[in-house]
Amino acid sequence: MSFARLQHGGPVRQTVVLAGLAVFVVWSAGPVLWLVLSSLLQQKALIQQPPDLSPANFTLTNFTTVVGAAAALGRGIFNSLVVALFSTAVALALGAPAAYALARLPVPRANGIAFLILATQMLPGIAIAIPLFILISKLGLIDNVLSLGVVYLSFNLPIVIWILRGFFTSIPVGLEKAAAVDGVGIFATFWYIVLPISIPPLTAAAVFAFVEAWNEFFFALILTRQHAQTVPLVIAQFAGQYQTVFGQMMAAAVISVTPVIILAILFRNQIIRGFADGMMKG
Amino acid sequence: MFFVAPAMIVLAAILGFPIVDSILLALQRVQLTGGAVSQSWVGLENFQRLFADPVFWKAAINTAYFSVMEVILVTLISLGVALLLNHPMGKSGFFRILLIIPWAIAPVANAVLWKWILHANYGVLNGILKSLGIIDNYQVWLGSPFSALNFLLIVDVWKSVPFVALLMLAGLQRVPQSLYRAAYMDGAGPLQSFLHVTLPTMRGVLAIAVVLQTIWSLRVFDLVFVLTRGGPADATALLNFLAYRVTFNFLDLGYGSAIANVIFAVTFILAGLYVWLLWPRQTGASR
Repeated sequence: MSFARLQHGGPVRQTVVLAGLAVFVVWSAGPVLWLVLSSLLQQKALIQQPPDLSPANFTLTNFTTVVGAAAALGRGIFNSLVVALFSTAVALALGAPAAYALARLPVPRANGIAFLILATQMLPGIAIAIPLFILISKLGLIDNVLSLGVVYLSFNLPIVIWILRGFFTSIPVGLEKAAAVDGVGIFATFWYIVLPISIPPLTAAAVFAFVEAWNEFFFALILTRQHAQTVPLVIAQFAGQYQTVFGQMMAAAVISVTPVIILAILFRNQIIRGFADGMMKG
Repeated sequence: MFFVAPAMIVLAAILGFPIVDSILLALQRVQLTGGAVSQSWVGLENFQRLFADPVFWKAAINTAYFSVMEVILVTLISLGVALLLNHPMGKSGFFRILLIIPWAIAPVANAVLWKWILHANYGVLNGILKSLGIIDNYQVWLGSPFSALNFLLIVDVWKSVPFVALLMLAGLQRVPQSLYRAAYMDGAGPLQSFLHVTLPTMRGVLAIAVVLQTIWSLRVFDLVFVLTRGGPADATALLNFLAYRVTFNFLDLGYGSAIANVIFAVTFILAGLYVWLLWPRQTGASR
């Protein structure tokens, strides 16, 4: 048996791998495909058994109806966009320098601080949600997009710090040494030398934080009422109110997930490398 | 210090008070009346109530079953997927896209999708199973306690596998090729090189995946909220959902905090385990 043969396997193993990949494709793509198909089919085609997939039944009316009828969806998308952009931007602005310092600068107890930050990410949402709810109620800031964005920093900041710290520990020291020899200060080194070569991990961290904020449901449920509702809440409400209008329900779901799916597909390589580095590096 | 301080201050400001207060709240009777909060100290009363509450114990057992099964299934399936995608035939970017899509889908949208798939009258699962002859009549999948909890489990596994699989894939790609070559030179077959090269080098990644997944399984909320609201007969009331229900539907904030504290304590132990697994042991390995 050659080494290549050992890695690829014989006909038996290749068949098993092929079958496994086929199962994997059906298992992952099946539900998503059904989501998209249902959103494009008329109600009468959906409730037939089996569903009537003839081309004549395909339509975009589910989408036009949902977009036209539900002002809530438009407002939800706008709110989600504001919350996600705000918490992502702030998390990057505060997290990038912190991650750099924890990875490269002589911060006392850098590992301890890094793990403390990581530990905050493990907090169960419900434990901090109750006090936050009381506090934010007392401040009169319930149903406010920005107070939700600030709460989202509680998970986005740690994520950003961990993804970036993983990257900063792996860049060569030479660059910074050269800068130090030339008398460049820490701030200038960070700004002119480190940040420009960190665009890929910064993108990964940004996409990751954006997706988390866009999809978050629990805090949004507790801390918003009407005005500041985000997309996941609108979708959940939709599913409760129009639970018999399946096509429209799916159309709303498709609209809500499309932006983040596009982001995830475009930046998949950075994301994969980013979270593998962040989660596994001590 | 200037670099770290702003981030730390913000985190402390957002989290410091809630962490301390969540413990204090569990020792109080907190009521919401007309938007005003009234609080009075009751000592350990909430915890006494907790341990005497059959609903709490039911939720605790549900959660234990759900978490254990979820972690086992997610770990095994993710390892399988990672091995498939690490095989030369599975290296195509297409498979990675397939993996990242379920990860990016919002948990709520995912729950709504599965509500439709599992629909008792028009659901596609009933349709497929009936046309394959596996079932004779359409089933109300979310209607009976046992079936509802297990479908919740399946849907959560579907959503959780991609992230863990990607983590494991990254781990597999770090196994040095030279080790496989060395094993080959020593005459190891595929199974032996998996058992003696792949698994040992992956031990750390596997341990991390198991601990993280356990923590995440304790947080499942969106699915319960959309699919079952804890029913039927509290069969799908997981601790996290119970704490939410007690707090925000029954407005019993102190008791809700006590339940949340139980989750907090379990998570804290698990988080400690995770940190212990990750903590850099060789001196000078990082900084």
